[in-house]
Amino acid sequence: METSNQPNAANGRSEDPVKTMGQRASSVSDSAQQAWDRTRDAVTDLKRAADIDGRVRRNPYGTVAAALGIGYVLGGGIFTPLTGRIVGLGLRLGIRLALLPMMKDQISELADSLGGEIETNKGRRGGGKAAKTSER
Amino acid sequence: MEMTEQIEATVREVGARVRPQIEEAKRRLSTLDETVTDYIKENPGRCLVGALAVGYLIGKIARRA
Repeated sequence: METSNQPNAANGRSEDPVKTMGQRASSVSDSAQQAWDRTRDAVTDLKRAADIDGRVRRNPYGTVAAALGIGYVLGGGIFTPLTGRIVGLGLRLGIRLALLPMMKDQISELADSLGGEIETNKGRRGGGKAAKTSER
Repeated sequence: MEMTEQIEATVREVGARVRPQIEEAKRRLSTLDETVTDYIKENPGRCLVGALAVGYLIGKIARRA
């Protein structure tokens, strides 16, 4: 159509709609490519800085668990009853695993010292009785 | 005395019967562990992003519940 190549009355520019669309598509594609490149570079830099590959190689399960935890926090699960239950269970287990052996050691030490005292008392009593019988 | 011997014999018999199954389960678990570890080491990005996504979903579900 002739009108398409005529100067636009509104802005005074001559525009080919097909060409403009093509240019726009090309420009969008270029910016998308640039954004993708930037994102990839950023991810590569982050990986290098945090030594993610090395961490994964050294401790694969721990790294995956950490990612799971970060996702859980990002998902808003931190102040929930489930978190409360998990923390409670962890605390109970921790107390059992850390405090009970300590208490067991203390109790066994106490029992040993009490046993030693009882033995010495018996020895004294036995000695006293023997002395009394010898006096008689 | 006889009772104790009977119990000991039964325990020994059960142990002998169960031991191969336990060994097999151990071997399978060990193989699974190696497979999973190798997969994570070969595809760290995929595994981390997947774990992040799974954690996010669990967090969302926990928040709603």
